[in-house]
Amino acid sequence: MDLFRRLTKQPTLELDDIQAAVLRARPEPYFGTHAILEITDAAAGRELLRRLAPRITSAARWDEPVPAWTVVAISYPGLEALGVSEESLASFPANFRAGMAARAERLRDTGPNAPHHWEFPFGTGRAHLAVSVYAESKEAWQEAVDGYQRELAQVAGVDLLSHQDFGATGFNVFGYRDGFTQPAVEGSGAETMPGDGRPIKPGEFVLGYPSETGRPLPMPSPSVLGRNGTYVVFRKYHSHVAAFNRFLHGNADTAEERELLAAKLVGRWRSGAPLALSPDRDDPALGEDPRRQNHFKYAEDPRGLRTPLGSHIRRMNPRDSKLEILSDLRIRRLIRRSTSYGDAVPDSEVRDDGSSRGLDFIALSARAIDTVEFLQSEWVNSGNFAGLDKEKDPLISNQDKGAYFTVPGTPPRRVQGIQSFNTLLGGEYLFMPSLSAIAWLSQEPTA
Amino acid sequence: MSDRDLENRFQGLPTTVREKIDAVIDDAKIALKLRVAELLADKEEMAEHAVTSAGRVGAKSGEVSELTAIMPLKPGGAEKLRKFFGLVGGNLAGAGQVGTLHNMRFVFLDDDTKLLFATAYDGEWDPYIDDFATKIPEFMDYLFGNVEGWPGIQSPDVKDFIVQYQLPAEAWFVAHPTLTVAGANRLKRLDRTVQNFLTELN
Repeated sequence: MDLFRRLTKQPTLELDDIQAAVLRARPEPYFGTHAILEITDAAAGRELLRRLAPRITSAARWDEPVPAWTVVAISYPGLEALGVSEESLASFPANFRAGMAARAERLRDTGPNAPHHWEFPFGTGRAHLAVSVYAESKEAWQEAVDGYQRELAQVAGVDLLSHQDFGATGFNVFGYRDGFTQPAVEGSGAETMPGDGRPIKPGEFVLGYPSETGRPLPMPSPSVLGRNGTYVVFRKYHSHVAAFNRFLHGNADTAEERELLAAKLVGRWRSGAPLALSPDRDDPALGEDPRRQNHFKYAEDPRGLRTPLGSHIRRMNPRDSKLEILSDLRIRRLIRRSTSYGDAVPDSEVRDDGSSRGLDFIALSARAIDTVEFLQSEWVNSGNFAGLDKEKDPLISNQDKGAYFTVPGTPPRRVQGIQSFNTLLGGEYLFMPSLSAIAWLSQEPTA
Repeated sequence: MSDRDLENRFQGLPTTVREKIDAVIDDAKIALKLRVAELLADKEEMAEHAVTSAGRVGAKSGEVSELTAIMPLKPGGAEKLRKFFGLVGGNLAGAGQVGTLHNMRFVFLDDDTKLLFATAYDGEWDPYIDDFATKIPEFMDYLFGNVEGWPGIQSPDVKDFIVQYQLPAEAWFVAHPTLTVAGANRLKRLDRTVQNFLTELN
């Protein structure tokens, strides 16, 4: 599959100061690691940033393949641990400062998803620094991970709390192609793909540029710290693929019916082909064609006869659907850098093998925290915005007992027994600084 | 029913309920004490109308929240707003497009120096503030720009500004706590379909 949008226009963003992850697409196949570190000594934390700085890739020439790139993001306790001044700390938004665990109610992270069930080190306040490596080969991955580990080993006062490897071919553990729908960012230089519409203002994704309000969004001070940075929401999910398969087997008799029901839940066939363009059967050629896979709208399908109103992709990006509540979709887009871990499970497997597998949901934008809180309460764990009352997202919500999914039709079909197919294992709100901000953070603060 | 009968019925209710009633409204007539006690003893009714918190300030019953704020007006602010409300005859029909507002009212207090803004709405009040800021900023700023210190709907401080003047309701009742504006629209559509069906059937 052709992964990269081409760079066809002169970029106006300061790409050489912005971290690569903002614009660089995940390769296929991909390999990588998310490491979480704790800074127990401020000077050591700054020293590590100084050592890592040359390894952190910028977004310059984001369209040209590179073997591997390293990304660094920092939590609010991490900024505190680095000795950032009170004045700077106070300039960050309240929800970032509170952290994801403290925002559980707002995020609807309750029941099995509640922070007291999370894996270490999420939600403990000790997850200070996230270092991620994305690579297109095993060798490049290992080399980049070795590189960061060598620097870490040189510094006493920064401890490794968790190390999670990931990797896949571009299909998630449920067997769906993922990660290919991304917003078109004005000023990135990217060509516009059919279905993109008008590119979204750069300030929605990178701090310091005009946003959809016409002005830059508020950013942390001083400006060297905020400008060219962005926010990251990291949420690690365990995927219950066998339960998903059991649901399909319990509600459909033939393989064709199962695949249709699976597509109705998602809004796309496993190949990526959208129901909007191919309502009756999968079309793998369509699924992998970047010029066609997003070239559709919903206005001609107001009842959801092709793409159910409650399907995952129609909830996450309602496009031109008529919504019940005044909403600006252009401020709800996210750059998604999610990664899969663990083996995929064949659709015939209905017994849980107990293995660890799932998805690290990773979303970037200048309002990523507000957006994910909005999505969780309004579009994932509620159906009100789409006139679906209490019906929730069929894939990523926290389902109640007796939950169902409605497949519109004549008559509509109400499919009972839908459960939570992904359980949250933890997450963090992070700030992804620019390269110059990393240099600034690695210096001793001046009083 | 005589007071004695009422008293007998009151005595038939759970002791915990009677003790609470006697502790707080011992001075009330037995008819009132009985009504309140029966209400408190009806767990289902109480649960359906349970009052929770609507985010930072305000009460919520089921899906429906209340927001009450008293804000200082700029000199001449009331006059300007009154002209605007006069222009539309006090009719804020366009507000229906918001999709979460059950009702809202604007009242001038203290010789036109303060504005009382009160509304019932679905969910929490701030998830959609950002949408107002990009979809209807002119409208929000025209209305609330008459409030002293209004930072502008696109300001990062606007949520804190509103919270600062918000007065939490001490009691809150909603007839249909689970019925959102979108839900009511859905029921109206359904009803229309059923009525048309019945008309055509006969």
